Amino acid sequence: MSRSRSDSTLDGIRLTARREWVERTRRDKSFLISTLVTLGILCAIIFLPKLFGSDEPKKFDVGLVGSASQPLGQALTAQGQAVDVRITTRQVASAAEAETAVRDGDLDLAVVDGRELVAKDEVDEQLNLLVQAASRAVRAQQTLQGAGVGPGEIQAALAPPPLPVRSLEPVDEDARSKRTIATVAVFILYGQLIGYCFTVAMGVVEEKSTRVVEVLLAAVRPVQLLAGKVVGIGLVGLFQLAIIGAVGLTVATASGAITLPPDIAGTIGWVLLWFLLGYAFYSSMFAVAGAIVSRQEELQNTATPLNLLMIASFFVAFSTSISGTDSTLAKVSTFLPPVAPLIMPTRIAGGDAAPWEIVVSLAIMVVSTVAVVLLAARLYEGAILRTGARVKLGDAWRSARRQPATGRA
Amino acid sequence: MLELLGLSRRYGDVVALDELSFTVREGQMFGFVGPNGAGKTTTMRIVLGVLEPDRGEVRWRGRPVDADTRRRFGYMPEERGLYPKMRVRDQLEYFARLHGLSAADAGTSAAHWIGRLGVAERANDRVEALSLGNQQRVQLAAALVHNPEVLVLDEPFSGLDPVGVDVLADVLAGRAADGIPVIFSSHQLDLVERLCEAVAIINKGRLVAAGPVEELRATGGERRYQVEVADAATDWVSGLEGVTVLEKHDGRVVVAVDGDEQRVLDAARAAGRVTLFSAVQPTLTDLFRQAVQA
Repeated sequence: MSRSRSDSTLDGIRLTARREWVERTRRDKSFLISTLVTLGILCAIIFLPKLFGSDEPKKFDVGLVGSASQPLGQALTAQGQAVDVRITTRQVASAAEAETAVRDGDLDLAVVDGRELVAKDEVDEQLNLLVQAASRAVRAQQTLQGAGVGPGEIQAALAPPPLPVRSLEPVDEDARSKRTIATVAVFILYGQLIGYCFTVAMGVVEEKSTRVVEVLLAAVRPVQLLAGKVVGIGLVGLFQLAIIGAVGLTVATASGAITLPPDIAGTIGWVLLWFLLGYAFYSSMFAVAGAIVSRQEELQNTATPLNLLMIASFFVAFSTSISGTDSTLAKVSTFLPPVAPLIMPTRIAGGDAAPWEIVVSLAIMVVSTVAVVLLAARLYEGAILRTGARVKLGDAWRSARRQPATGRA
Repeated sequence: MLELLGLSRRYGDVVALDELSFTVREGQMFGFVGPNGAGKTTTMRIVLGVLEPDRGEVRWRGRPVDADTRRRFGYMPEERGLYPKMRVRDQLEYFARLHGLSAADAGTSAAHWIGRLGVAERANDRVEALSLGNQQRVQLAAALVHNPEVLVLDEPFSGLDPVGVDVLADVLAGRAADGIPVIFSSHQLDLVERLCEAVAIINKGRLVAAGPVEELRATGGERRYQVEVADAATDWVSGLEGVTVLEKHDGRVVVAVDGDEQRVLDAARAAGRVTLFSAVQPTLTDLFRQAVQA
């Protein structure tokens, strides 16, 4: 008997999940539209830097007035080449002519008699640094020459060979690109999480507000209905994530925006695992937010605390991805279930998380997800048939079936 | 036989059901009546397992009803409910499968009921595009699509036009003829009286009367007589002991009699020529009023 019972339990979940899948992917245009929009945004992120040419070296035009400016011009060109900035110098007859050219924007900067710089307003910071460095080098050279130091010694003093770097830990050539991929994935993942959790909540309200839930509950138990909805919508989300991931990686690789590290599969695997955990964690809470109200308009209110929790978690993940995944905030967040799904893929991909951190983080996440799902199932069950005013969580808890699940299963 | 045994249920301090018991035989059309708030919907929800009773149980064919058994029950809730954006055929197949039918059987059965209830040309439309009457037909199809062993319908006739009432009555009679117990609630007591073999009347969560309508008439109701005396005023009837006048017009009176009705006849004959003296069958509405006011 217990066998057929669990079979029918799974049947109920499978059928409700299948309905979500079919209705949302095949019967509803919004799935196609949202996929295309996300892909469009992703392609824009990949191609925009190319369009605006931020990969190109910077270019500056510098005018030289008077013969005293000549050595500075040569030094400046050399300094620019060293840091991949292209500086073009040209001779200008007089200071007045140079000022006009600067004012008209023909020149970015003019050097007058080797002692004064003329700019329209503020000088580009990088250009200023280069000119000042070139000026120091020229002055030093002239001083040394005046003191009778030979050219070889001047060369040795002013252009010493660069200091070698000794890394204490092996450099992972791929860590950077893996971290970038994981960070971008987390942003997309966040969009998916918030989108699909909201879909779960709206689906629950739809069933409640249209009263179809009573017809359904005559055939399946509340926990089956909840599980089927969460699983079905989760599969839709995963499917969309897979499409976006595949297309995004293909486009980014083909365009040369990123180079895929050889063991990228591991990174993608972690991203998906954490997506599933985060989705289970959040979506069951969103389902409760849906179950305690009777109309879609009221959902905004009950979902707001959850939205805030998600947004706060996202900002923690976002700031650590900028400030470094080794920070204290990042380390603490590793053990906070609301944040961990958004931060762990990046930390793991970048090699910042120690193995024990990964294990403990996963354990905490799995245990708290199971607890949240069980709690949500009970609250959902207690609230789903109560229409009218918003159901208090305490009332939902108390009015859930008192018998153990096996009693009536 | 479907047995409801001592069902009790409270909502907070409100007692919705108090030790409610009655039985419905297989193949019986069973009317479930009572004033608003009497506990009809709560009872039906408990039978379907949508709600859990605080005490009592429901038995079908001698065994306590469990979830697997309930999947073979059909239910039409008072609050109609369908997925508005789902297509009619998809929806019915989905419900059939939730109740345990195979994919093939679900397809066949959905097609059958779509045709039987006259919504075949709307099979591929979204439910929200249908008129309310047609949505109600789809709702009924959703209760029937898995060939249930027991049918429980909460106010199935409300909102239907006379043709819809006839179609539904016909369908329900057909299911009962196939040996299925059909329980439905309704405020249209004339309809219940016409269709049902037996009824249960409840009030404030308690059973007031249950059984075949004929039996309720014989036992529960006071006896009524209609008397007509030619060429006489109707004041002959006043002052008779144990007689209550219910109606009075044009020399004809309807009286409720407690005790020997021959005294009434004697009084009438003393007043004039008696042209009519007949027992009046109380209608279900009469029984209902008596039961609820008692």
